[in-house]
This record gives sequence, structure tokens and C-alpha cells, in this order.
Amino acid sequence: MYQFSPIAPRVAAMRERYRNTQPELDLNRYKLVTEFYMEHRDITGALKRAYNFKNLCEKMPPHVNDGEIIVGSLTAKYRAAAMFPENSVDWLKEELTSGLLWERETDPYIVPDEVREYVLSTVDFWMQECMSAKMNSYIPEIYRDHLAGNGCCGYGPQGQNAQPVGHFCTGYRKAVDKGFKAIKAEADAKIKELEGTGMVGTTARQYNFYRSISIVCEGMITLAKRYSAHCADLAKKEKDAKRKAELEKLAVTLDWVVENPARDFYEAVQALWFYEMCVMLDANMHGTSMGRVDQYLGKYAEADLASGKLTREEAQEIMDMYYLKVAELNKPWSAGAVLANPGYTNGQLFTLGGVDKDGNDATNVCTYMCLEAAGRLLLHDPPQALRIHRNTPKELWDCAIEVTKRAGGVPSFYSDDVVIDALTRTGRIGKEDAWDYCLIGCVEPSLGGQEWPACGGNGTETYTNIVNGFLMAINNGYNPMPSPDGKPGPQFGPATGYLYEMNSIEEVMKAYEDQIRFWTTWDVNLRNIFESIAPNILPQPVVSATMGGCMEKGMDVMDGGSKYNSTGLSCVGVGNVVDCLAIIDHVCFKTKKYTTRELYDAVMANWEGYEEMLNYINGECPRYGNADPEVDKYATFVMESYAKIGTSFHGPRGPLSVGCYPVTLNVLFGYGTWATPDGRRAHTPLSDGIGAVQGMDKSGPTAALTSMAKVPQNLYGNGILQNMKFHPSAVNSEEGKQKLIDLMNTYFFAMGGMQLQLNIVSVDTLRDAQQNPDKYRDLVVRVAGFSAYFVEVFKDSQDDLIRRTEQGL
Amino acid sequence: MEKKLTGKTYDIQGFSVQDGPGIRTTVFLKGCPLRCPWCHSPESQAFESQLAWMAMRCIGTQKCEDACVNACKLGAISYGELTTSMVKESEVDENGIGRDRMVETPVQKIHIDRKVCTNCGDCAAVCHPDALYMCGTDYTVEEIVERVSKDKPFYDHSGGGVTVSGGEAMSQPDFTIALLKALKEKDINTALDTTGYCKWELLEKTVPYADLYLYDLKHMDNDLHKRVVGVPNEIILENAKKLAAAGGKLQVRIPVIPQFNDSKENIRKTGEFCCELEKINPGTVTMIQLLPYHNLGVMKWQRIQDDIPIMEAVPPTDEYMQELKTLLEDMGLPVCIH
Repeated sequence: MYQFSPIAPRVAAMRERYRNTQPELDLNRYKLVTEFYMEHRDITGALKRAYNFKNLCEKMPPHVNDGEIIVGSLTAKYRAAAMFPENSVDWLKEELTSGLLWERETDPYIVPDEVREYVLSTVDFWMQECMSAKMNSYIPEIYRDHLAGNGCCGYGPQGQNAQPVGHFCTGYRKAVDKGFKAIKAEADAKIKELEGTGMVGTTARQYNFYRSISIVCEGMITLAKRYSAHCADLAKKEKDAKRKAELEKLAVTLDWVVENPARDFYEAVQALWFYEMCVMLDANMHGTSMGRVDQYLGKYAEADLASGKLTREEAQEIMDMYYLKVAELNKPWSAGAVLANPGYTNGQLFTLGGVDKDGNDATNVCTYMCLEAAGRLLLHDPPQALRIHRNTPKELWDCAIEVTKRAGGVPSFYSDDVVIDALTRTGRIGKEDAWDYCLIGCVEPSLGGQEWPACGGNGTETYTNIVNGFLMAINNGYNPMPSPDGKPGPQFGPATGYLYEMNSIEEVMKAYEDQIRFWTTWDVNLRNIFESIAPNILPQPVVSATMGGCMEKGMDVMDGGSKYNSTGLSCVGVGNVVDCLAIIDHVCFKTKKYTTRELYDAVMANWEGYEEMLNYINGECPRYGNADPEVDKYATFVMESYAKIGTSFHGPRGPLSVGCYPVTLNVLFGYGTWATPDGRRAHTPLSDGIGAVQGMDKSGPTAALTSMAKVPQNLYGNGILQNMKFHPSAVNSEEGKQKLIDLMNTYFFAMGGMQLQLNIVSVDTLRDAQQNPDKYRDLVVRVAGFSAYFVEVFKDSQDDLIRRTEQGL
Repeated sequence: MEKKLTGKTYDIQGFSVQDGPGIRTTVFLKGCPLRCPWCHSPESQAFESQLAWMAMRCIGTQKCEDACVNACKLGAISYGELTTSMVKESEVDENGIGRDRMVETPVQKIHIDRKVCTNCGDCAAVCHPDALYMCGTDYTVEEIVERVSKDKPFYDHSGGGVTVSGGEAMSQPDFTIALLKALKEKDINTALDTTGYCKWELLEKTVPYADLYLYDLKHMDNDLHKRVVGVPNEIILENAKKLAAAGGKLQVRIPVIPQFNDSKENIRKTGEFCCELEKINPGTVTMIQLLPYHNLGVMKWQRIQDDIPIMEAVPPTDEYMQELKTLLEDMGLPVCIH
């Protein structure tokens, strides 16, 4: 069994601090940006963003927390949150006025009076100046007045940019290995060169781009030097000799890195974090994924360990401290948005493992150090993705499973074979580059440092609720969910007829596809409209400084400067739609147990008065997730159809790719989705990822995976999500672990499975299962050659199983 | 037309991870000549189909409009306990924000008069949530092979396959032999989980088709074996030796039952017997699997409320299981605890 190293006392103390600190709003960034924007209404575009950033670098107060050895902060207080009025402020104004921001149940913030007063006294300036307001004015009238609120296409009538731009991985390798002096020199050389050309055509725009890069590079170097000076000051005042030495070392380190190439592991980690922090300081980011962190840092760590400059314990402490810095990051979201992304999360996904450019295993000491940090510190952020290939070492598997046992769902596992196929088959990523892919945001494959994938599309993540698309398909374009005022909603979608007018499952399928095509078209319309305005308002010079392709093309990432470009779509509710089709086919057309009219009426009545039918459908009908080909063929249809429609479009920068991952939106969307023919009542959750409807995959994990494999996953270049729950008894022996590994290897390399997230359920979950058995009907416990559903065993036996789990037996 | 050969099964379980090597599917056949009081699958013992009722799946007669009560022509089902259950109701407020609330809902459970019930299955047929279900379904060899073949990629990648278990699978010898043969024809690894209590002439026929035997050794003392389990152990031990001689591979399973076979003396004797098998044909015993007693069978017993009683005991401690493991390992035998 893989043995974790102990946690250093200082790391443990910092972790406690992290756990016990409630985030607070910090005014520094908001104030500096507001003053800058008010003072410089004349500057626009790339230069505005560059000078705004440089201003921040010159004026943000450096902040070093007690005991830190990796430094750099967006705020002047531990675990506080900076504000980004450039994106959206209407929600902030509302929640600061009503008090919701500190009173809400999920992710409340401490808001000091002076912060609230300053923001409220300036927020009206931003009401028109922010990105969201500008996007609102470009939403077409026909959409705003007639189509918004349809429930399928995720765009509302306003407030599209409350959630930030993000979901990419920029060139962190370049930042660490080269430093920003060299990058600035590249930009400056381009500036010189263009000044001799007369700025013909688009050259002036390129010229401005290079100027923006030069300015932000200078800004970052300035900020690092200010931190260096601050650390030197702190060192002078420090009484404790050991701490004094650390601060002195920090002063030397920050005087060197950021500007210059890192020379050892400690400098590399500091440089990586500092640039990450600068990316976040510049723009309201979410899902700014870090890419292959073990690959950036591995060579530095291995050299230091070999030369004896660092011990493994010292290196681990540096890594742990870095993880705690990432975990500290958070930013306020609206009360609605936190329901989809709860836990003060920032979503800075790390990618580990995988292969090198020759296809050999790329595991190095940092792969283990990262997994250990995740498995020992149990932080909400950063999440971890582990790339699995055919030669993933046994020890790495072992380490990953041990982490999974401690931290549910961490890491998530990805098949190199399927991801690389998905990225290259449409020409989105070149075959020569795809080996270096990483995961961004939640589960989205991308090429770190060379692709602007915009899986968030327009800066907000829009997801297509295909279950509502299905309901409109069988209800002539009307969404049966009544409007908030209780009245029936308007006819949103195309008039595809009513279920009771349809005579075959093919007619139902065609109606569904027509709706999805209509709503996906609108989704793409709105994304592309956004992309036509956003590059002029929020260019990203700090990101573009390292993103491969930008320097060569002289273009910001927002304009399509990076080497590769794409836009990601995602759908939610696959399991429900698959079951709807299978059940309509089964009960209305094959067995003719109920007529389409009866089923339609039952759904529209939310099953009230149709209990017998509801019980029959939930108990006796074939279901997705049980390796039943008669059902699984609809999974192939639904997912092929969405992929075909989604990838038929093109964005202004590059192709569109499709995904299927809900975060927790399947629950939120479920509230807003009327009853469905698969025996689902109104307002209840939709299915998760590409998984079966909750509790309906009753034939064990091999059958569930066989069904999921019927989804053409290699068409899903924007990623898919599949969660599987296991009782701890499944992995309490070496043999059990090996069988779980075999299960995943089969799925990944023989069946076309792209991703899996394992939840070895915790003691808390088991207790919850005792209270809410319906939620955990599929949880199997295995003991002494015997298996049973956990919720179906005696209370006493359940208690015993919980006790054994607690003791790690 | 000739009637097709069928086997009566009470479960087919995928991702069976403790019934032999690799990822396996276990096919459980119904009917057993033994009457082990600790049996954790009491529904496996009778040869006929039996009605089972799982209380927690019962949604209450209010919700199914008395489906089972009405379906029973014999009047064997009546109202039983009136319980309550917390049911989650979801709603959306005027701002479109959804929330859940738990509502206490009465649930009218049922009572089955087992003296009247003839296990006809009429009630199970109308019970959509499967609270009432029949233990015992007839399948043909082809039906089972088709079903278990779906997991072939998992077997192939993990060194797994299909385990035929019981009850006592050899109590349905024709079906078991035909099934094992059909599986081998599909190139699927096979294991036969057996008590060893059957005629050698029948067991011998499985040798070409069974890659492994999961072979139960419950007690080395014949009298005790007969008194507690209901049959003597002579045939069982004899068959084990014959299997060894015939080249069969045995994963020996010892259910460790408190106050029955858990003494170190008995375990040592069982170990000695395994050594004897090794002498007959080295490499016969691939593993000794120690299965500590657990009382989960009681829960299954309650579902069928069989006439045959079931024992309840305190499971052996983990420390004691380790001691038994060490004892056998010291004899040079490979051992695992499940």
C-alpha cells in the first residue's frame, strides 16, 4: 500500500487557518480599478487593460501571511476575496444592498462597513461600464423578448457575465522556464520591428498588442520586486532567526524569479504561483487551470533531490504550501451562481501523469508530491486530474486509489487514448501536440499553453438543458413549466407537435433533434455575438504574454491569437432523455401498455392521479445504465445527435466542441424542469454527466460502464463526466484495489471510456445513506463473499460497516 | 417439442470481486442439500421459487392502491405495520429558487400469511417497486451466456470470468455442466463454487470445463459436520482428493463460524487436509479463503421467512482471523481473509 509522508507542523497549522477562516471582501483591487477606470475613460481596449494591470502591480499592498514560504496575494488579508467590477456588478449591488452576501447560507462573505459603503457609492459607474452591461445591450431583441426563459438554451435576458471568463491553461512553463524579462524583450523587439513598417493593415492592432504585453511584463516584474522589498523589510523586523532566514531567502528569490528563469525547485514553485496570482489579479477568472504542474516542476525537483539541495520532506513542504496558496484563492459569486459552484471554489484544476512527447510514461517525483498534497491536506481546491495510459505505473495507480479513499472523487481519471482521439479527430489539435493535453475547468480537455478553448464560451458557462428540449419536443414547442406568475409559458421552440400525435419513436426522436438544433443554434448565436464584442472590452494581455501563438501572431487570446482555438458547449440531462425515449418506445409503441395520450397526460399532470403508471415506469421498464442494448441505443442517438449539431457550427476563432458535464447544475436545472416521461417528478434533479438516472443503474458497475461506453465519447472533445460510487469495502484489500484498477483499465482501453470519477464514500455519506436511503439505492457493500445494497442491510450491520470504515478496515 | 434445459437461479451478480480471481459475474443457482445454520443466503436452500418481501422497498399500499392485497386470490396478504417515512418534496418559490423539504408520510406496509401463501408469484408480478419478488427464475443456458457475455472485456482485462454458485450448483447437475461447457466455448474463464457434496460421477464431468473450484471445507470432524450441516463430510473430502488427482484447481473456502469450526485445531486439520491435496497433485490449492462469519444472512432470511431457522452469533474478531491466517501460512499454504 502506498504510504503518505507526514504533514509538517507548519503546514498543518496553515491548513487549520485555511479551514477556520471565513472569507472576507477585500477592497484594494476594487478601489484601484475603479479609480483607474474613472480617471482613464479615454483609454480603451488592450492598452486600458494593460495599464490597469500595471497600476495594480504598482499599488496593490504586498501581503505575506505568517509562516508562508510561497507568497503573493490578491488581497491584504488571509483568505480574503478581491472584487472584479469589470465583469458584472448588478448582483453585487443587489446583495450588498439586501445583505444577502453575508446572510446567505452558501458561501457567505464577511463584508466590512467601509467596503460596503465604498462599493455602493461607486457601483453605479460600473453598472454601465462592466462587460455584462455591454453584452446585455447586444442580446438580440427577438431573443430577449421571445425566447429567453425557454429552459433549454442557458442564456437569460441579461447578466450574462456575472460569472467570469476562464477555463483555459496558459503558458505556465514559459513563465517559469523563461521569465518575463525575456518575454518582454520578445515583445519589445516586435514593437521596434513594426515601427519600421508604417503599420499597414492590421499591423497597428498587432503593435498595440505587443505594447500591452510589454506593459504587463513590466508590471509583473515590478510587483515581484515590491514583494522582494517587502520581504526584506519583514526580515529586518523578524526576531525568530529561522523565519528571518526564510524571509531573506524570499527577498532574494522574488528579486530573481518572475523577471528571470527559475534556477531550482523552490524558485520554480514561487514563479509558478506568482504568475498564476497575476493572471487572477488581472481578470475575474474561474477555472484558470494550471495544466501539467508535475511536468513543469518535475525537472527542478529531481535535480534538487539528486544534488541534495532539498530533501523529499522539504520539497513536499514547499508543494504543500503551494497547494494551500491555491486553496486560499476565492472570489465572491452571486447567490445563484454559488449554488452551482459551492465551497468558495476557484476551480484551478491540476493535471498529473500522462505521457511525454515520445509516448513514454511521464510520471515523476512531483506527480506523487502533488497527489500527496491533495490526499493529505484534503483541500477543496485545487482539484486533481490524473492522466492514465497503458503503462501507468502500478505505484501511481496505488497512490491515486489511496488519495481517492481519503478525498472523494480526487483525482479524476482520464484515458489518454480517448482524450487524444477526441482532440485530434476533428483537427482541433495537431497530432504532434496532443500528447501534452491537460484538463481545464471541470473535465474539459485542452492543450495547455497553446489553446484558448473558452469552454466557458462567452465568459459565463452556458449549458443546454436537453431535458427541457425534450419536453418542448413532445409539447409542440411549449415548456410545460408554468411561468413564475403561474400562467402557462409561451411557445418558445419550433412547433414539433404533441406526443399524442406521434406514431413512432422515430417521430419523437426527430422532434427532439429539431428542438436541440434550434436551441443549440441560439446558444452558438449568443456565444458568437459575445465573441464579437468582448475582445474590444476585456482583452487578456497577462494570459496572452505566455500563450503559444500570441507572440507570433501579434494577437490577444480573445482575438484568436493562440496557436489553437475552440469553443466548448455542454449539455445536461442525458440519462433522462435516454430513458424518456426508451420508455416511450417500450410502453407506448412496443408493449402498448399505455397510449401516448395517457403518458402525455400523466407527465403534464406531474403524475398526480397516475401513481400506478408512475410505479410501473419506475419499477418495470428497461433503463439506461444496465447494459441493455435496447435502451443504450438511445444513448448513442442522443449523444451522437448533440455532437453532430454542436460541431456543425464554428466560432469566430475556431471550431466548436461538445461536452457533457453538469457540475451541480443537474440539481439546479432539475428544479426548473417539469415532470418527464421517465418517471421523474417536476423540480427533482436531472441525471449527472453521462450517467444513468439516479438509482436506476441496478446491475452493478460493469453494466453501468458498458452502457456509458455506448456514448460516442471520442466525439466529446469538451469533456464528459461520469461519477461512480463505491463502498469502502470495495477497496479495503490490495486485491479489491486491483480489481477496481482493472475495471477502469477495461473501460479506458477496451471500451472507449474517457473519464471516471470514483467516490469511495465516506463515513458521513454512509450516515446520510442511513437517513436518506433513496439517494443511495445503488451503493453496494461487499463483505465476506457477500454483497448487498447498503441501504437494505440492517441498521446494526450498517453501523458495523460504518465503524469498520472509520477504522480503515 | 423437447423442453429446453433450464436452471433455477436466484441472482446473477456482476462485478463479483470475492468469488475467484479478477472481475467476475456469479450465477447463483437455487437449491442445496446442506442446511448450514449460518447460511448467508437462506433463499438459496429450497429448490422451489419462493416469495420474498423487502420491507424497505415497500412504498406502502396507499401509493400502489393495494396492488398486492388485491392480486392475492388466497387472501394471504393483509395490512401489516403502519410506519412513516420522510419523503423529499421539491418545490420552486416565486423567485424560481428551488428547495427541498422533508415531509413525514404514512406508509402502510403489508403482512404475508406464510401458511396460506403458495409462492405463486401473482403479488410479485404487480409489485412494481419489487418489494415483493420471487427468488427463483428459470433461465436457459443460452440466456445466461448472453447475459454474462456482456462483461467479457472486463473478464479479459482482469483475469476474471464467471463463477457458478449456489445453493449447491451441482444439485442442478445437467444445467451446471451445460453452462460451464457453454462458457468455455465462449472462451470465458469459469469457476464452480461448490460444497463438494455431490456424486463424483457428476462432479467429474465438470473437470474439463471448470478452470477453478471454490471448494467449501466446513469441518474436518464428520460427526459434527453431519449434526450441524445435515450431511457427512466424507463425500466432500473424497471428492476434493479426486478433483486434485484429476488436475482440478481448488480455492478452498472456510467459513469461520463461531463455536462450530473456528477452533485452531479444526483449522489446523483443514490445513493438513489441504497439504494432503498438495501431495496428491502439487499446485492444487491455489488459495485458502477464510470467510469470517457475519450475520447479514438474517436480513435475507427475514425476507423469505423460511421454516428453516437461522443462527445468530458474534462475528470473529479481526485479530483472531489474523491468527488463523498465520496458522495456515505457517503450514506453507497461501491464505487470504475476505
